[in-house]
Amino acid sequence: MPDRRISALAHRTPLQAGDGALSLAERPQVAMRGLRVDAKAANRALKKTKGLALPETPNTSRHTEGVHILWLGPDEWLFLGEVDAVHALRDRLGDGLAQIHHQLLDVRDQNAVIALSGKRAREALMKLTTLDLHPGVFRPGDVAGSLFGRATATLHLLETYDPERDPEFLLIVRRSYADYLWCVLARAGREFGLPDQTPKAGEIMRP
Amino acid sequence: MFVIECPWCGPRDQSEFSCGGEAHISRPAERSDMSDEEWAEFVFMRTNAKGLFAERWNHAAGCRRWFNVLRNTSTDEILAVYRMGETPPDVSTGLPATPCGEAEIGSGNDAAKVMVEAADGTTNTRDTV
Ligand SMILES: [Zn+2]
Repeated sequence: MPDRRISALAHRTPLQAGDGALSLAERPQVAMRGLRVDAKAANRALKKTKGLALPETPNTSRHTEGVHILWLGPDEWLFLGEVDAVHALRDRLGDGLAQIHHQLLDVRDQNAVIALSGKRAREALMKLTTLDLHPGVFRPGDVAGSLFGRATATLHLLETYDPERDPEFLLIVRRSYADYLWCVLARAGREFGLPDQTPKAGEIMRP
Repeated sequence: MFVIECPWCGPRDQSEFSCGGEAHISRPAERSDMSDEEWAEFVFMRTNAKGLFAERWNHAAGCRRWFNVLRNTSTDEILAVYRMGETPPDVSTGLPATPCGEAEIGSGNDAAKVMVEAADGTTNTRDTV
């Protein structure tokens, strides 16, 4: 059966500033799994069986086998990556945690992923949030839930990016907030050269 | 606006948090003969402390965990932050000096001043010292 899912921002086209200062795009192909489990018990079990580990330091992430494991709370993590990689890791996790009370859910349709990159990406985000995004404070691999404009979202700075190049941020947001967040990001990027978007906010998006 | 220190995420802006009211109110052991008054005491009645106050906060936009805060309600100074289930740390705080010595409860406006009946039958407000 063909995949007939429509991503939350399918009606938006990626926006790019002329000089590459900033670009905004949805990442509809990203697979996501949410895990709830006791951290200590899980890491003990995973150490014994798999050599896999969940990051226990708040607001950090770990990159393993093509999957980003994001800390969301003391007993909550998000797995983010290409479909095949996430599926492979999910199977290994499921085996490792089989003896432990846990919950592993597909949250791909619940969330949208927006990527914001470029050398002005930090500045554009600073206009929308109270988080400290100074390069010395918010570092590659860091994760933070906060308000962006009026929407709650999780911000992640990919630790896989080349430090010589410009940072790439991912914003993981509830599907129903995705269009609002896209619009405030697009507006925040206007001063850095993001083109005016079509359709604009407030228009009827779908027939 | 003030900055609150989440026990997990560290200092964050108040806009990320929501307040859950007074802390350390435990649900009474359920009994079939509990009166409406007893239920009301648990459900509705809260102290309205001026000064040191223990309250619950939720890091709603961040890690979404509940935790406890000891706050001075008249200065908004946060004296301690501790996780659910932990014992409140021993802290003390004072009240700001006020020119007319408002009552120890309430907002400190005129309505909260203690009403006393004077000996001659007229009603006056009295400063509590
Ligand atoms: Zn937090």
